[in-house]
Amino acid sequence: MLAYAIRRIVTGAIMLVVMSFVTFALFFASPIDPADFSCGKNCSEAQKKETAAALGYDDNFLDQWRDFAVGVVAGRDFPDDPELRKTAPETIAHCPAPCLGYSTERSSTVTGLIKETFPVSLSLAVAAFVLWMLGGILFGVLAALKRGTFIDRGVVGLSLVAYAFPTFFVGLLLYKFVAIQWELVPLPRYTPIAEGGVGGWLASLILPALTLAAFFMAAYVRMTRSYVIESFNEDYVRTARAKGLPERTVTFKHALRAALTPIVTMAGLDLAGLLGGAIITESVFNYPGLGKLAVLANSDFDLPTLVGLVLLLATFVIVANIIVDLLYAVIDPRVRLG
Amino acid sequence: MALKKPLAALAATALAATLAACGGGSSDDNDGGSSGGKPEKGGNAIFFVGPRTVEHWDPQRMYIGRDLNNAGRLFYRSLVAFPASNDPEEGTTPIPDLATDTGTTEDGGKTWQFTVRDDVKWEDGQPITCEDFKYGASRNFATDVIIGGPANYLFTYLDIPKGDDDLPAYKGPYSKKGQELFDKAVTCEGQTITYRFKKPWPDFPQSIASLRFMDPYRADLDKGDANNFVIISNGPYKLEGEWKEGTGGKFVRNENWDPSTDPIRKAYPDTWDFREGDTDEAIYEQLLSDSGDAQYAVTERRLPPALFDRKDEAGDRYTQVESPYVDYVVPNFNSPVFKDPNCREALKLATDKSAWIKAGGGEEYFKPAYSIVNPNVPGYTENPSFADIPDEGDIEGAKAALEKCPAPKPVKIKFTYSGGTPTSDKQASALKAGWDKAGFQTELDPLEDTYYAVIQKPDADFDVTWGGWGADWPSIGTVIPPLFDSRINLTGDSNGNDYGNYRGGPEVDKMIDDAYAEPDLDAAAEKWAAVDAKLGEDIAYIPLEITIFNFLHGSKVTGYANNVSVNGYADLAVLGVEN
Repeated sequence: MLAYAIRRIVTGAIMLVVMSFVTFALFFASPIDPADFSCGKNCSEAQKKETAAALGYDDNFLDQWRDFAVGVVAGRDFPDDPELRKTAPETIAHCPAPCLGYSTERSSTVTGLIKETFPVSLSLAVAAFVLWMLGGILFGVLAALKRGTFIDRGVVGLSLVAYAFPTFFVGLLLYKFVAIQWELVPLPRYTPIAEGGVGGWLASLILPALTLAAFFMAAYVRMTRSYVIESFNEDYVRTARAKGLPERTVTFKHALRAALTPIVTMAGLDLAGLLGGAIITESVFNYPGLGKLAVLANSDFDLPTLVGLVLLLATFVIVANIIVDLLYAVIDPRVRLG
Repeated sequence: MALKKPLAALAATALAATLAACGGGSSDDNDGGSSGGKPEKGGNAIFFVGPRTVEHWDPQRMYIGRDLNNAGRLFYRSLVAFPASNDPEEGTTPIPDLATDTGTTEDGGKTWQFTVRDDVKWEDGQPITCEDFKYGASRNFATDVIIGGPANYLFTYLDIPKGDDDLPAYKGPYSKKGQELFDKAVTCEGQTITYRFKKPWPDFPQSIASLRFMDPYRADLDKGDANNFVIISNGPYKLEGEWKEGTGGKFVRNENWDPSTDPIRKAYPDTWDFREGDTDEAIYEQLLSDSGDAQYAVTERRLPPALFDRKDEAGDRYTQVESPYVDYVVPNFNSPVFKDPNCREALKLATDKSAWIKAGGGEEYFKPAYSIVNPNVPGYTENPSFADIPDEGDIEGAKAALEKCPAPKPVKIKFTYSGGTPTSDKQASALKAGWDKAGFQTELDPLEDTYYAVIQKPDADFDVTWGGWGADWPSIGTVIPPLFDSRINLTGDSNGNDYGNYRGGPEVDKMIDDAYAEPDLDAAAEKWAAVDAKLGEDIAYIPLEITIFNFLHGSKVTGYANNVSVNGYADLAVLGVEN
């Protein structure tokens, strides 16, 4: 198991290197000149050249990628100008390793930006995750147990409706009616625990977490229902029933446990994706998380931030994959890792 | 200022220029407001910044009109500023702010002198000195650190020679290369600062009042790019804590601001909470319901078209003013079709600006334009080449002109425009319909993020394209040359802002130079109008419309005014909120 884990970690690291390289290559394949964005509108060609040089965009992408990779390992200074370091050291920003770059659009190191925004996305993802896993599995099992009944059809029908609505629509609907018109909850504005305590933090998460959870919960209800029904038809469940085990034990210990394997796989990947930022939900509710940062960085062609976010998200997905694979062995005794 | 619709948050666009409020709650009264009664001290005001985040709070890097206005009303002062007024003349005539007068020149604008008041302070209590102004000006030249601002104006005028890189030989206060050149061009004697220019800059005070590139700055607190969102206040408010991009920041009273030194800023509210990042829908749902904090709020975001039908719910909290922008189309002088003046004439006559306006939302959103110059910029006159054409176009006249166009019939043209939204596609289709009626066969080419990258290439494959612009300060000199002076726009790789690759030649170049050199501002305005007329004759552009701003504000806002001095936005200098 240890050897397997190490192999997966090494493969994951290689994937991250490839991801960073591909992101740089894609960025430079675009016809848009990032220096134009920074330089402003009344910029002469000479100014654009100067801006490109100052931001390092005048190097070819291989050199830029190399500098980036060196920064991840050893840290970097921005701007990396030896002369400026002598004459005006106060204008140099040092980015310690692992340095993911410096965003001149946001005047901050990318790691600093991630540190600021990650807690928001983490809070939102975890709150939504708890809601959708609890609701999804409970209602899924209920639908499976009441298969073919009005309850089953009601649960499945409602989940279909929730799944069909786009996230931004649900978000805006909740925002407009629940928060503004009916004033049932305070206007959603992210409140860190340090500012509002646990209560304030939870209250600030209600609407965005509900919005996210509604979408995921719908999928998990249907998935859980289908896997549990499938498990009910398995030989080992029949055997368990034949042994005279109570129905509750058959359902939760045998059928649900088998059904959990694919659900955990999905949940791990979904959670990892959300940790990298819920772009639409964060935008609708103006939550300053990684998703919102990605939108801003994308809109002003902020390469360092985009690369940092891509790598962070890739790391989450790779790590989640490894954890899920390792969890298989725990959940399903038939799985042996080697 | 270019109006880059899809890249609005990205491409720096300055606002300046002037405009007149045309309805709603705008007011001519500096002291009183049109809604909510007379403002009084106290209360907490809110400014919804919206999804377009602040790019810079560094005065030398700021170039977005909203931010220039708000900063100038709340925490940055300069030598001169525009008074809080909606009178087109008064509101665009600088008055002394940190200086003792509006500046003096004895050589027609080639040398300007200002004396800094000796009773004004920074937020930490340090006096504001002449050297602070000199240092602020010097930062414009550090193009490797201070990126994004309107420094180009200073490069054009300040008496500093160019280096091998086609940029000024002075490289700013960080590297100090060429420092002696700057020290010669800008000098301090006591509290009196002198700026020496290569050529006359008669409207230099207007540029100071509109932009912030000549604001003072503290050398001892300068950390270059790291100071991008740091505010070193000398106005009535200072930032509490840090500015957080995407969230905003809160401004509280600056104890070191002395109201007796400030003729402009009333500073009524105790605090200003700038909330950044909300969507337009979220902002306007709050303002329409007029509940909670939104009762104390103002915004610069326009009422979204989807909510426009509900504007009556807001009563006198709804205001409508003309923006300082003009939208236009340009024929590409490098295209085989529009090299020919008859083909351009046909395009001009066939352009149906009424249909464009209707497709864009109608007269509540746009007003027909008859020049590239906004009507409220001093010296504006309707361009004779466009004044007599019906807004619907003159299809018969266009057909006749097209007969003389040597291109094979039907004349195939490609209209490259800034697309990506249903509205922009509808507007493009509306223009196409008019052009096609006259005998063109128009191919629509909507582009999104790559729009400017494509149309700024001199060899780009399009025949007509779209543009938007507003003056950087109340002068036609900040409209025509940035858009049509081929000497500053056309280089081998780029056409700059001259998307149609128009070359005026020696005649137009001389007219531009004469207008620039005219020390009398009224006479200069006439000369600029003549240049505009010539551009019309050449059909260098075809004006479409002037965007109209539609705003809502909260019911507990007092003294609300969309003043001409802040381009029609809410004037935060005179606005209050109920306690």
